[in-house]
Amino acid sequence: MSSALKRDQHKAIGALLTPALIIIIVFTTIPALTTLSYAFFGWEGFQRTTYVGFENFQSLFQYPYFDQFKAALKHNTIAFVVIMTFQTSIGLLLAYAMFRVKRGLRFYRVVVFLPVIFSLVVVGYLWQALLDPYYGPINQILTGIGLPEFAKPWLGDTATALPSLMFINLWRWVGFPAIVFLAGLNAINQEFLEAARIDGASEGQIFRKVIFPLLAPSLTIITVLTFIGAYEWFDLPFVLGGSNGSPAGSTDTLALMFYRLSFGSIDSGANNVGVGSALGVLIFTLVGLGAALGSNLLRRREVEQ
Amino acid sequence: MKIKRFRGLVAALFAVTAVAIPGATSASAATELTFWSWRTEDKAFYENQIKLFQAKNPDITVKFTPYLNTEYNAILATALTAGKGPDIIQMRPYGGMSNLSDAGNFLPLTAAEVPALKKLPAGILAAAQGYKDKKQYGLPYAVSALGIMYNPDILEQSGVRALPQTWAQLMEAFNKVKKAGFLPIGNAGGNGPALEQLHATIGPTFYGGTSFFNDVVAGKKTFTDKAYVASLKAVADIAKYMPANYQGIDYNTMRGLFANEKAAFYIGGNYEIGYFRSLNPSLNIGWFPAPKANAGAKRYVGTWADGSYAINAKTTNKAAALKFLNFLGTKEFGQALVDEIAFIPTAPYVKINDQAVKEINRWRTTLGTPFLNVVGFRYESPTSSSILQPGFQKLIVGGTTPEQLAKDVQTAVASWYAPQKGKS
Repeated sequence: MSSALKRDQHKAIGALLTPALIIIIVFTTIPALTTLSYAFFGWEGFQRTTYVGFENFQSLFQYPYFDQFKAALKHNTIAFVVIMTFQTSIGLLLAYAMFRVKRGLRFYRVVVFLPVIFSLVVVGYLWQALLDPYYGPINQILTGIGLPEFAKPWLGDTATALPSLMFINLWRWVGFPAIVFLAGLNAINQEFLEAARIDGASEGQIFRKVIFPLLAPSLTIITVLTFIGAYEWFDLPFVLGGSNGSPAGSTDTLALMFYRLSFGSIDSGANNVGVGSALGVLIFTLVGLGAALGSNLLRRREVEQ
Repeated sequence: MKIKRFRGLVAALFAVTAVAIPGATSASAATELTFWSWRTEDKAFYENQIKLFQAKNPDITVKFTPYLNTEYNAILATALTAGKGPDIIQMRPYGGMSNLSDAGNFLPLTAAEVPALKKLPAGILAAAQGYKDKKQYGLPYAVSALGIMYNPDILEQSGVRALPQTWAQLMEAFNKVKKAGFLPIGNAGGNGPALEQLHATIGPTFYGGTSFFNDVVAGKKTFTDKAYVASLKAVADIAKYMPANYQGIDYNTMRGLFANEKAAFYIGGNYEIGYFRSLNPSLNIGWFPAPKANAGAKRYVGTWADGSYAINAKTTNKAAALKFLNFLGTKEFGQALVDEIAFIPTAPYVKINDQAVKEINRWRTTLGTPFLNVVGFRYESPTSSSILQPGFQKLIVGGTTPEQLAKDVQTAVASWYAPQKGKS
């Protein structure tokens, strides 16, 4: 290839990349940097005042924000661990079942993936109605079959609200890892499996020793996406618990806290853009570092086919 | 879990707003005004009134969009900060909106342009003024009053012959109602603001109403005062009369329990009456002020100027917006607001015909005390409300103590409110 041709190619690549780059810079990079700068200024309502150094970060580490921050971080972490454990493993099992199924794959695929395409707000209200402590069918059924002690105010009890949210999240999203894993399974060279079978490996051994290692790229993607999703969890907690993480902050997350601080909290007026931006910077750093580190580590253990 | 980043949500919000607000309209088309509110329950009322306005002003159309009450502030703040937002804005009182008015989001109103302002008393106008510049940004439309609503038929069937005058009598009435197989109160724990209003109803008699309000505003007393702690304890004590699984019962369900005649009492604001009647037009509602804490205490009715109508400073339809605002200031509109939604009017030229509202207003004028959190401590973050709303949800399930909650409120307020700085 002549160097002139190469230069032309570079020009073409540049021309194709420019529009996307401009969009990313204008809508992602500049707002992110602006937020970074906001964190170092004083705020009165929505008016920026003077440079205050690290004062907003100090406030974030004082009452009441620090208590809220610790609680929210804990909830995000629980969500990551629980969702990673259950949603991913159930997703993997579903994918493996679909991989091995002889008939009706398309039907199962649609059924498993269907909740993912539902509007999240609709899913939220649907489950809110199902779990309603007074009129909800779930409690009525529990009472009806003689288990009234299990009829709880699921979304209103500080002990059950977060687990309920994680369950709804699993119901809604489990199809996503399942489809990703199914694609990963289909990409595995059948010869490996046949070779293992000829060598007399059992189904369990094939899954553990051949299939699972070869699925590593899919697992990397799912882990990183779950990590980012869990630490930026906003939509479902917002729909079901409002911006205050009701009841009593038991479903609060870092993203809800950011929203509440920046734009004003439930029915109680005042906001604090400075502290909100300081929190935004922390979330960005946490998620950015975590995702970069995690994907790096996970990619190292991926094997070539 | 693959989550759309919430930045996407905010962007979507802007997009929706952008669609809702057409830019310059062509000369032949009517001017379209947009009007935002947090009163989803008043949608039919406003749409009716808008029809009347449009009949007289065929060149103007008004689109009314209400948002969920608990998220209204955030939605409005996001839109206004982005330079968008509606032409006409239903505005929260006092500190509830002052951060937005101080940032220059609202058009300052003058009595020359909005003559109705001249007829309102100064105390009411103050609820819709800037925190810093004291300019008039809103036309206040209603005063709210807190008390106890009751169902006379259920009380009759439960053998409660006289309305409770003291806290002990109130508990006795709750027990009688419970024994007769009804729910004592519809109030529950699913909604933080509703719990805060419950406290603002029954609390003042414990902490000493207006004199405590003045002392805490002046920094002479703190929220850790024994009397204030006792007022918080009263909320914890009432939880055992709430419906089963009360922690998870949301705002609409709890109000529905009273409206559908399952609960004998509902503790809250007069603004609920309109909603109760919309659910059950034949509902018989009585009202009485919260009972006194003990024989020596005084009774109080929590009250505040609740909400006003404002104009977006960036509106491109100022003339039409003022025309509509003046319509909202007319006697006819004020009368309809009182007759149909049972609001207490701000304007002296509106007559109260509703028997229940008349009664509430009579008590309000004699026993009125400012709603402590709303009038005094919503100007900066963390507001007392932002601590109390989730705090009450914890308190009623035993997750915190009245003493601890009082300490939390004090710490939060002392972090920004000058007269309370350094006090605990």
